[in-house]
Amino acid sequence: MIFARGALLPDARLPLVLDGLEEELAGSLSLPPLVPETVVSALDALGRELDGGGLDGLIAQYAPPGAREELAQVRWMLRPEQLEYKLRTELGPPEAGDAPFGRRELRPLGVLLHVAPGNMAGLPLFTAAEGLLTGNINLIKLPREDRGLTPAVLARLTQAQPALAPFLWAFDLPSSDAASLKRLAALADGVVTWGGDGAVEAMRRLAPPGCRLIEWGHRISFAYLSGPPDRAGLEGLADHIVRTGGLLCSSCQVIFLDSSDPEEGEAFCRAFLPVLEGARAGQALPLGQAAQAALYAREARLEHMLDRGGRGDVFYPGRGCSLTLRRDQSLELSPLNGNVLVKCLPRRNLTAALRPQRGRLQTAGLLCPPREREELTDLLLQAGVSRVTAPALMSRSFPGEAHDGAYPLRRYTRVCDIVNSK
Amino acid sequence: MFSRQALFWFSFPYDLPGSDARFLRAARDNCAYHIRRCPEYRAICREEGFAPGQLRTIEDLSRLPVLPTLFFKRRAVFSMPSWRMAMEVTSSGTSGSFSRIGFDWGSILAGIPMVLRLGFYHRLISCKPANCVVLGYKPHRSSRAGVARTMFALTFLSPPLRRAYALKMEQGRYVPDLDGAVRALERFARSPFPTRIIGFPSYLWFGLKRMEELGMSLSLPPGSHIVLAGGWKQHHSRQVERPVLYGLARRVLGVEEDRIHELFGAVEHPVFFNACKNHRFHIPAYARVLIRDVRTLDPVPLGQPGLVNLISPLMTATPTLSVMTDDLGVLEPGEACGCGLSSPTLTLLGRAGLRDITTCAAGAAQALGKGEAF
Repeated sequence: MIFARGALLPDARLPLVLDGLEEELAGSLSLPPLVPETVVSALDALGRELDGGGLDGLIAQYAPPGAREELAQVRWMLRPEQLEYKLRTELGPPEAGDAPFGRRELRPLGVLLHVAPGNMAGLPLFTAAEGLLTGNINLIKLPREDRGLTPAVLARLTQAQPALAPFLWAFDLPSSDAASLKRLAALADGVVTWGGDGAVEAMRRLAPPGCRLIEWGHRISFAYLSGPPDRAGLEGLADHIVRTGGLLCSSCQVIFLDSSDPEEGEAFCRAFLPVLEGARAGQALPLGQAAQAALYAREARLEHMLDRGGRGDVFYPGRGCSLTLRRDQSLELSPLNGNVLVKCLPRRNLTAALRPQRGRLQTAGLLCPPREREELTDLLLQAGVSRVTAPALMSRSFPGEAHDGAYPLRRYTRVCDIVNSK
Repeated sequence: MFSRQALFWFSFPYDLPGSDARFLRAARDNCAYHIRRCPEYRAICREEGFAPGQLRTIEDLSRLPVLPTLFFKRRAVFSMPSWRMAMEVTSSGTSGSFSRIGFDWGSILAGIPMVLRLGFYHRLISCKPANCVVLGYKPHRSSRAGVARTMFALTFLSPPLRRAYALKMEQGRYVPDLDGAVRALERFARSPFPTRIIGFPSYLWFGLKRMEELGMSLSLPPGSHIVLAGGWKQHHSRQVERPVLYGLARRVLGVEEDRIHELFGAVEHPVFFNACKNHRFHIPAYARVLIRDVRTLDPVPLGQPGLVNLISPLMTATPTLSVMTDDLGVLEPGEACGCGLSSPTLTLLGRAGLRDITTCAAGAAQALGKGEAF
């Protein structure tokens, strides 16, 4: 399905649409600029339609099971006060306004090609909404998982607010269709890529020089514990680990202990395993998900037997979860699904240990005595982390948060100087 | 490995107590073989403190190290060099990743009597030539998908005249051609020879729905069969009740319920489970099934649901002696079925963690064997 100028077209029309796209885009670019208020009210109306169940039919038809719940969690992002707050935070002064030489203006980049991810329902729309808020024309390359949901929602959105129609295009292209992707990228001022290294590298190859690359790649996160941890903090961490299954950018993969003593590591594992098991048991998982957790725990154990036994790893098997104490200090992916790594990393080695993951670091869940919090936060930020929070809150979204160390809206705009002619 | 042949040439395909001794001997030999030849399997047995000598009674099978199918997806494990294998096949990889399983010549020698014995028992084998419609993949040299080979092999249960496929290889990828399959069915309906439809239940469902929408109603020649294999694949969420599917097959194709056969198997466990006339999977003598608790992985008694652990000493090229599938299931006493077989029945209840795993943690997609989609 293709979404073009407010209409749904069959995929077979792709060559024709691509042929005429450059001219269409030039036409749209010369339209009066899109004002944020129009976008905010249209998104608000869409959010209310979602609340009222008006989109349930579309979601049931196109989206995977569980999408409705996922959308409910991000629903607040569409509220007008949130969108306005986002605009103020991300685009506010000092960039705009009067300057000694004349004045500054933030203008849209122009045309954004969004390579949208398939890992969450609604994300293709979310990334396009960020593009719209900044007045850009948005070409969305839909993920395979979309199955027509985004074009259908875009059709609703533009029916309610026809002014948005010239700013939204969506294409259901397979990622293997490099020729079409390249043609789209050739028409864009910026390419917004969501996804793993494969997607990011592919788009770097396809985008022409001069095109701004905006990459929301996959990230890795960890917990850092210093001093005797309090029970509530550990419970929060355990809950976070089993709830996110290690699958999110913000999920804890490694629990680092501010210590160089392996015995302290062992003592921590012995103390933490029951807490982790408790969090798993308290989850009241449906049968299928409990089974999945057990399968992954079993797999983690087998992998440990085969790969790591000789390297001094110590494995702590639990019910539907496990801890593996490793001797190195690197940040790496855990065996996932409630199976997490523990490593000793004294604070003096923090920067060196995290450096190999630069560009991928995201959240640090910090648990330490209050008087050391400031110092450790500083160390973590210096090492390249872009968010420091409590372990329990590692995956919690909040208003005004930056996206992996950047403000997306700012990246989708240009700062223009208008110099006094006198 | 004569103990394996002794089990698979056993004359009574559903006599579990009668085959226990042969099964245990074959399992012990198979386990010892993999320990000798497969370093990974040897390491796992050593870590778990398991030795083949511990298999004394049939209950001891639960002590065999259990390998989840995920394990075979993450690494290729073999107990013999590839030149000694008959073939290497891959699982269908519903979630984007594949198991690589080697088949040795002995497993094929053992598989033949198994298929024949079960085929005769379930009246799947006929000497009357048939036209075949495969609602699945057309075998292609570039594809090692086990299910394509299985479906191809199933066309030989009677002498095949012609074959039509619903999934064809075009430019390196499989593309569906349901309309082509429907046209073939129309053609075959006019033939004096029976038709055999072999395929994924989901494809049968979509195909039949399409035919019904088009107002088509065929009457396939007498003796026509439908053989369903391979599960619901990615269409799990649209799984339909069996009676609805059977009703549709009767209305659209004129094939009665007793001519619809269901098979269950896996590349990691290529023992055929044939549904009985009451559509239940009784455990054949060539396999044993344990249901394990979804939290502790301990075996649970009959009647309790859990993860399905399939055990068979069929394979020597890959250590698939005791495999844990992603399927949830329950075992029930065979007598309760009423079809006359007394071996316990396995009912599949769905898959573990049915929701597709999606992730944005760096590197996790590869670790989960998802491949990187964007």
